[in-house]
Amino acid sequence: MPWLSCLRCVFVCAIAVFSVVLAPFSFAATASILGEPVNAANTKAGTLLVRAEDDLVLRAVPMLGTEVDIEVAGIVARTGVTQYFHNPTDLWLEGVYVFPLPENAAVDTLEVRIGDRLIVGEIKERSEAKKIYEKAKAEGKKAALLEQERANIFTTSVAGIPPGSTVGVRIEYQRELLFRDGFFSLRFPMVVAPRYIPGDAQATSGGFGFAPDTDQVPDGSRITPRVAAPSDKILNPVKIKATINAGMTITAQSPSHLIGIDKNQDRVLITLADGVVPADRDFVLRWQPVIDQGPAMALFKERFADEDYALLMMIPPQAEAGNTQPLAREVIFVLDRSGSMAGRSFSQAKAALILALKQLRPEDAFNLIAFSSDARQLFSESMPATDANIDNALEGIARLNAEGGTEMHYALSLALENQQPTEKVRQVVFITDGAVGNEAMLFDFIKNHLGQSRLFTVGIGSAPNSHFMTDAALLGKGTYTYIGNLSEVKRQMTALFRRLESPLLTDIKIDVNGAPVETYPEHIADLYAGEPLVVLLKGKDLDQDIVVRGATGTNHWTQKVRLKNGHAHEGIARLYARRKVAAIERSLYGLADATSWREKQKAIKSEIIATGLQYQIVTKHTSLVAVEQESTVPFGENLKPWAAPINLPAGWEYGLDQSGPDTDALSQDLYYEDAAIGDATLMRASKVFAHQEHVDSSAMSVADFSSAPATVAAVTESTDWCSRYPASFACVDEKTKKDQKGGASKTQTSPPSAMQIAMGQILPRTATPAQMLLIIGMLLLITAAVIRKKKLLKWR
Amino acid sequence: MALKRSVISAGLAAAGMLVIAQGFWIPIKAIAAQAFLNYAWVETLERGAPQKPWPWADTWPVARLTFDALGESLIVLEGANGAALAFGPGRMINSVYPNNPNTVIAGHRDTHFADLKAVKVGQLLTYQASDGSVQSFEVIDTRIVHETQTGVLEPTTEPTLTLITCYPFDAIAPGGPLRYVVRAQLDVPDYSLSSSARLARVFKEALEMSSRAQF
Repeated sequence: MPWLSCLRCVFVCAIAVFSVVLAPFSFAATASILGEPVNAANTKAGTLLVRAEDDLVLRAVPMLGTEVDIEVAGIVARTGVTQYFHNPTDLWLEGVYVFPLPENAAVDTLEVRIGDRLIVGEIKERSEAKKIYEKAKAEGKKAALLEQERANIFTTSVAGIPPGSTVGVRIEYQRELLFRDGFFSLRFPMVVAPRYIPGDAQATSGGFGFAPDTDQVPDGSRITPRVAAPSDKILNPVKIKATINAGMTITAQSPSHLIGIDKNQDRVLITLADGVVPADRDFVLRWQPVIDQGPAMALFKERFADEDYALLMMIPPQAEAGNTQPLAREVIFVLDRSGSMAGRSFSQAKAALILALKQLRPEDAFNLIAFSSDARQLFSESMPATDANIDNALEGIARLNAEGGTEMHYALSLALENQQPTEKVRQVVFITDGAVGNEAMLFDFIKNHLGQSRLFTVGIGSAPNSHFMTDAALLGKGTYTYIGNLSEVKRQMTALFRRLESPLLTDIKIDVNGAPVETYPEHIADLYAGEPLVVLLKGKDLDQDIVVRGATGTNHWTQKVRLKNGHAHEGIARLYARRKVAAIERSLYGLADATSWREKQKAIKSEIIATGLQYQIVTKHTSLVAVEQESTVPFGENLKPWAAPINLPAGWEYGLDQSGPDTDALSQDLYYEDAAIGDATLMRASKVFAHQEHVDSSAMSVADFSSAPATVAAVTESTDWCSRYPASFACVDEKTKKDQKGGASKTQTSPPSAMQIAMGQILPRTATPAQMLLIIGMLLLITAAVIRKKKLLKWR
Repeated sequence: MALKRSVISAGLAAAGMLVIAQGFWIPIKAIAAQAFLNYAWVETLERGAPQKPWPWADTWPVARLTFDALGESLIVLEGANGAALAFGPGRMINSVYPNNPNTVIAGHRDTHFADLKAVKVGQLLTYQASDGSVQSFEVIDTRIVHETQTGVLEPTTEPTLTLITCYPFDAIAPGGPLRYVVRAQLDVPDYSLSSSARLARVFKEALEMSSRAQF
């Protein structure tokens, strides 16, 4: 018997030794996957770290930093973005930085600060501005140029950055706040995510990007800034300060960053809790107003060049859910599985898709399209949403991984072409990060092929292409949804499902009495649940009453607006102009095949230039340029161009192949057919998902904290420790000391039960009997030895 | 008689060995488990969903806690029960930031949290949640409390990390009534949350301000 126990001991010890020996290896394995151990000083908020192998040489390199100040008044935010180009080298530089701004941002100011000198920029036609800038550069003058590449991509060029000094470039813009699902929000993008540039490479190259100019994207090299290898250092640090003038103290939240909040009498100051963050994701700030049963509205006005401009935002009455039988639907899910989605984005996308599939009703039909370098569909035609078909789809999703190009055109053509006539409402749910450069071509396609379908875009990841998301949804007569991280999947998808039910307010029209009023958008799109009506108006004297009409199901809804009562606010005219430019640009889509396309394009270009110059804003065809009066760059000095590298967006995987389109042929094979059905995979997918749902629901109650019990906030804001933690902790510390002095505790007579611990009545017990066991074991051995010794003595 | 003695002696020796082996097994298990938990943690971060470290486990990694000054890092498990604590420090259920800004983590005083005695006010703790987000907490207080003083578990105004272990650290027998508590606050000035009621009022007024006389 004893040797049996001994054998067990040996066995246990062997396992123990094995574990100890193994331990360092397992740590090593961990390290190689995670890269550098997380260091609090320079990585905050979930940055994915991978060690950069090639960053061994230490040398002074130019750097870029950004300071952002956002001023919110009413429903308009004015933002100042200051980009600091720091040049520690001994060369004169020309800095080029490609960066994002919110789509439809009306940029009106460019200032260059060198030491205590200030150069102010002017709006010029783009080609003229470029000439002025190049001339100044050649003459040895310091100059700056701000160009718009896309509705949400801009380029700053700064000539003549002196050695060992810093040049600041300040850009200002305004944009109306987003209001959806009961939240005000603003989104400040920080990085242009690497984009897929389809098409054949051209000989010319106009920019510094990693992609060539192609026949489909003639400015490919201008919108694809080089991505630096991930490293421990913060690249392109950003400092954000937002002020919300709400009239009194408020609190906001950010799903993207940790924020600090400083409350003042009539305004709230929001800063990044981390001080600075790397420019690797969108900064999202959101706060919640109250919506009563009736409609709410806000109206702001500005007088600009003898004309009145107004911004009207209305929240239509939210229909009561469930009183109408929703129509049967045919839903086409399109999943972007390109390389840019790899990593966290793809798990978000899959989670969103699985959640969506589970929402289908038996009378619905669905199909699934996945695309990267080619596009494939699950069924050759839409199938009824039976359990078997949905299980089939879930299994297919579990098998998908993300790699390859982003040939979105193929996916759209599968989803929109050859639509069968159907009684059902046809909806296309397009899940993507929008990381493509050929937006115009795609918009054109959507406009031409939409038919009876409705297109709903779901933007995934830390830095989605918001221009693509919003405009594709607008042209597709649907709406867009953003999912910034996994914890937002459920919340945002729930909002999307509500919208998929049906538009809330249709046939929206504005009736004007008296003097004519121009409005943008001209034709107001249907509103979905949780969306506000945003209209910009222009008129000679906006003091009459207008009536907004719409249909909610079978009922009619009208609301009178007294334009006279608008509050004066600067910048409304420019918001109007930006909307007008966007509308003009959209008018070109759908005409690519028409013979008059070239003329139309010319007409549109001159219209945009005229609008840009009239309202002094940056557009695709008007730029801001600032030039120094005298020449300060030493004679004969050649400027060394430096294109600022950018961060990889948070959650992306480094080293993906973004070089060019895959030449794989487009195939429409049923790509799941040959795959054997593996129950294990399916189970695993649903199991993992069950976990996600669990996690998400807890995250959701936080994000949507209006519904959470306000236990935290009830505590007074006293700095006194005792009053903050009444009858606990520090305040009972003295009592504890007394207890210690008095030896054993008097309060606790019987040992606490596990139940008490579980109910939080006592603190958890946190000691192991390891030492005690060792001592008892030693005592036993000694006793055994003593007995044996006595026995031995006796035998002798 | 003599034979009986030898049997007793052998029996005692065997029992002694067994008990000693168990005594050694506890810390070894504590160290080895952390190594295995690291795998599960990496999985958790990659998949964004809880991963069980081994199939029969009834707990899973929820966070990584790093003592910056000590250069030590631990995987925190869900639940502060005995089963979980044998493998790593446990986060008490219902104390999940940000639902409850007070995250309470308990650990054995003689294994994972043995180094808690070396933690000083002003040092930094890094807390990585399972969604990958990393937060830095500054130690603001270390205290000795009685096990019935559960005030340390209560919700706080600021995001707080409360680490609990048994006290005194070098006691031989487990189950003493005293606890050593380290408290750390999110390393952010003026971070606060406000009640939904207040928010509601504020925004109603803000909206009204912007569109007065409309109604």
